[in-house]
Amino acid sequence: MSREDLAGAQAALVAALVTGAPAPPGFDQDGVRAAAAALLRKRAGEVAAAWPVLAASFGPRWTVTFARWATTRPTRGSLRDGFDLARHLRAGGALGAGALEELATREAQWRYRDGGEARRRRLPAVRRVRGATVAQAFGRVWVRRAKRPRARS
Amino acid sequence: MRGMITDEYGVGIGWRPEIAGFVADLPGLRFVEVVAESLHHPAKHLPEGLRELRGRGVAVVPHGVRLGLGGADPVDPARVRHLAECAAALGSPMVSEHVAFVRAAGVEVGHLLPVPRTRDGLAAMVDNVHRTQAELPVPLALEPVAALFDWPDAELDEADFLTELLDRTGALLLLDIANVYANARNRGGDPLDLLDRLPLERVAYVHVAGGAEHDGRYHDTHTDPVPAEVIDLVAQLCARCRPPALMLERDGHYPPADQLRAELDAIARAAGRPAVTA
Repeated sequence: MSREDLAGAQAALVAALVTGAPAPPGFDQDGVRAAAAALLRKRAGEVAAAWPVLAASFGPRWTVTFARWATTRPTRGSLRDGFDLARHLRAGGALGAGALEELATREAQWRYRDGGEARRRRLPAVRRVRGATVAQAFGRVWVRRAKRPRARS
Repeated sequence: MRGMITDEYGVGIGWRPEIAGFVADLPGLRFVEVVAESLHHPAKHLPEGLRELRGRGVAVVPHGVRLGLGGADPVDPARVRHLAECAAALGSPMVSEHVAFVRAAGVEVGHLLPVPRTRDGLAAMVDNVHRTQAELPVPLALEPVAALFDWPDAELDEADFLTELLDRTGALLLLDIANVYANARNRGGDPLDLLDRLPLERVAYVHVAGGAEHDGRYHDTHTDPVPAEVIDLVAQLCARCRPPALMLERDGHYPPADQLRAELDAIARAAGRPAVTA
């Protein structure tokens, strides 16, 4: 097996694990599927740590919800995975108030467009969502909720 | 860089920010490991908890998880440089990485994947270990991983592959006893068969971690309690060699401090080392 063949074989195995492609010939299909499922559970836990409100808003359905979305999407790191999923859910009207506010907070902190790098904002930013306004300046974040005392996150 | 670890560190633990307070309060501690990729700009900034441990003379070993030594492509020089910077900033006696690949064709797996145990797979890994060692100020220890599947058409068994890898590179062995247990259980073998065939004199330190069964397979999760069978294997290992250090590896779902202390004490008892919790 040349170095190029090895690279190709490794790429085929990776595709089976992170994009849902079938395992390459000769592999134990059940073993590879079990590894892919374990990988999704691990990712779900890591994204939950980075996006606690998003994860908590799905309660016990979080791991399944995340896994369904992530099965065909290789990880881009917990921060960006959470961004992508939260925006996907927001576009479909499937985000609750708390998760919307968390996404707005992240958007005030980070400059991130789909497919790019996530970079910390250096300039102040304001995001408005249903029931709350999120402001960021000098790395600190303030959340103002309608008809509630000012709270800091 | 080649070398042996001659210091006697005893029982340690994986330092994580979530349990930094617990780790700082372990009176007998002399050894911790930190995930190298969790340190950003180590030459300029180290977490306060790690600096305090260094001030107490606790050895801190950077443990890389994203280098991908087993990949077909050459290791990324920037990742190697970062590992070297971690070792320099922490005054580490060694660094460690895995016998694994973690990406291919630009796609990150976010997990440690087994390498094909073929002559060519071995050659690719040896090349990458040499590239890495050339830039490191301290010895490199290599950790075999837990795998839920193996590559087809293996030309070497696990013991022969690892022995030749260590022989050709001079690298040390980071033996994860929970991985030995997981692989033997999932393949239906006896973990002692591997222990009896590995060059145990090259063990730099030992990982001990918990796991759980899921759909008929044992998963090395690092988020569950350490099974009694893994503690028994620590004793079996220490009947065969005297590892310079053994450490508990816990990566999430952190239990109350009493449970962590009990696991550290169980490792110490099985290894015949002093407790670090009192």
